[in-house]
Amino acid sequence: MKKEEFLIQLEDILQREEPCQEKDILEDYVEWDSLSKMSIMAYYKKNFSVEITLNDLDSVENVSDLIKLAGDKIND
Amino acid sequence: MVLSKFEHVKITGISTVVPPKEINIYDEAQYYDNNIKKIDRMRKMVGFWKRRVVDEDVTASDLSIQAAETLIKDMKIDKETIDCLIYVVQRPDYSAPATAFYIHNKLNLSNSCAAMDIHHGCPGWIYGLWTASQMIEAKACKRILLLVGDTPSAGMDLSNRISAPVFGDGGVATLVEYNEDKVISHYNLETQSKDFEAIINPASGARLHFKRDNDEFNAKLLKPIKTPSGYETKLSYGYMDGLAVFDFTINQVPESIKKLMEYADITPEKTEKLLLHQANKQIVQAVAAACGYPEEKAPYDAFENFGNNTMCSIPTTINYLYANNINKDAQFICSAFGNGLAVGTASLKLSKDIYLSGVQNYVKSKDHPTAEELIKYWTHKLEGKQ
Repeated sequence: MKKEEFLIQLEDILQREEPCQEKDILEDYVEWDSLSKMSIMAYYKKNFSVEITLNDLDSVENVSDLIKLAGDKIND
Repeated sequence: MVLSKFEHVKITGISTVVPPKEINIYDEAQYYDNNIKKIDRMRKMVGFWKRRVVDEDVTASDLSIQAAETLIKDMKIDKETIDCLIYVVQRPDYSAPATAFYIHNKLNLSNSCAAMDIHHGCPGWIYGLWTASQMIEAKACKRILLLVGDTPSAGMDLSNRISAPVFGDGGVATLVEYNEDKVISHYNLETQSKDFEAIINPASGARLHFKRDNDEFNAKLLKPIKTPSGYETKLSYGYMDGLAVFDFTINQVPESIKKLMEYADITPEKTEKLLLHQANKQIVQAVAAACGYPEEKAPYDAFENFGNNTMCSIPTTINYLYANNINKDAQFICSAFGNGLAVGTASLKLSKDIYLSGVQNYVKSKDHPTAEELIKYWTHKLEGKQ
């Protein structure tokens, strides 16, 4: 999946009304709650067959870090 | 690994009862800063919508007894032919005796019918079916009345937005019988007990409990505790590590289901529906996708309409979607998961002649006792006055 496409998907996953940028700090999003974390885990499992844990998500700072968790499944 | 196959066990009837009182999440806007958009987000992401909850004086056994009475009446079952009553419960009416004895008496079952409780959570219907199937396959019993019931809403603080909007209450009766012609079913049961604290009521049994004549100690069990999510709880209430449970559910449960499908030689194409425990919409969709099922084969209607009524959620789904509407012999994969942590998966064939009650409303009898009336009754009894 292309990065641009994932950023649009991310808006939907988080049910966010503003566009997402790679440099955005996730803690700054009001939508970055436990529901969103579960949605991310489910989305990665479903679309990339990548299992991510809570520890992974707790160590993520910005959207770019989140993209890195998908390995080569999200690329330029 | 517990992989089991049975060849002569048939589910001949399922009835479901839920309380008539419905709570709609849109009526709880005060917990979401009166912001409807926040509620819309919850609805879309996890499927929070409507749930059914009991009045304070109604227990799980009350719901299950009505389900059993309905099934026995509609299927014209001679009570003398019921060999065993199994009641799966995690909120029993009494710590002693087993609630199955109370139910056995209420249903006026025969003295030659065995009765017992099984203590289990969300996978309880699958574990109950598995137990009943062994008893029938071994020819120890020919006809078993399996009841499951739970009232997770009881004692739940409405400000607990992690758990309160999730759970609903229900009671289910299932008739499991010996069948001379082959009816094949398969089961896979797994346990991940290292996470037994992930869903737990810390002060609810012998390990930690209220002490007689020690108000100071008891006050500690009743002391409000502020959670990181902002709501107040108590040691005597339920605790759930939602994210840990979610992690188990989307990573371990699909593996367990896939093992069963391989053992039973079932593919998504051969399956009428994948009936998953109605934990929430997000979990149903994630588990279904991980098992290779398209969204339309993994319904979450029962969660949206009745809430997660724990061990009742799969039979509630069956009664909601299929009441007297199974046109042919249909192959289902059913998987339920929850406290333990435990997961139980079954491949079940339901035939077109099965009795399904639909989802019925509980009707409280006029002489249903209140807590105050029970105190009076038991006080008189202990005083030797009746």
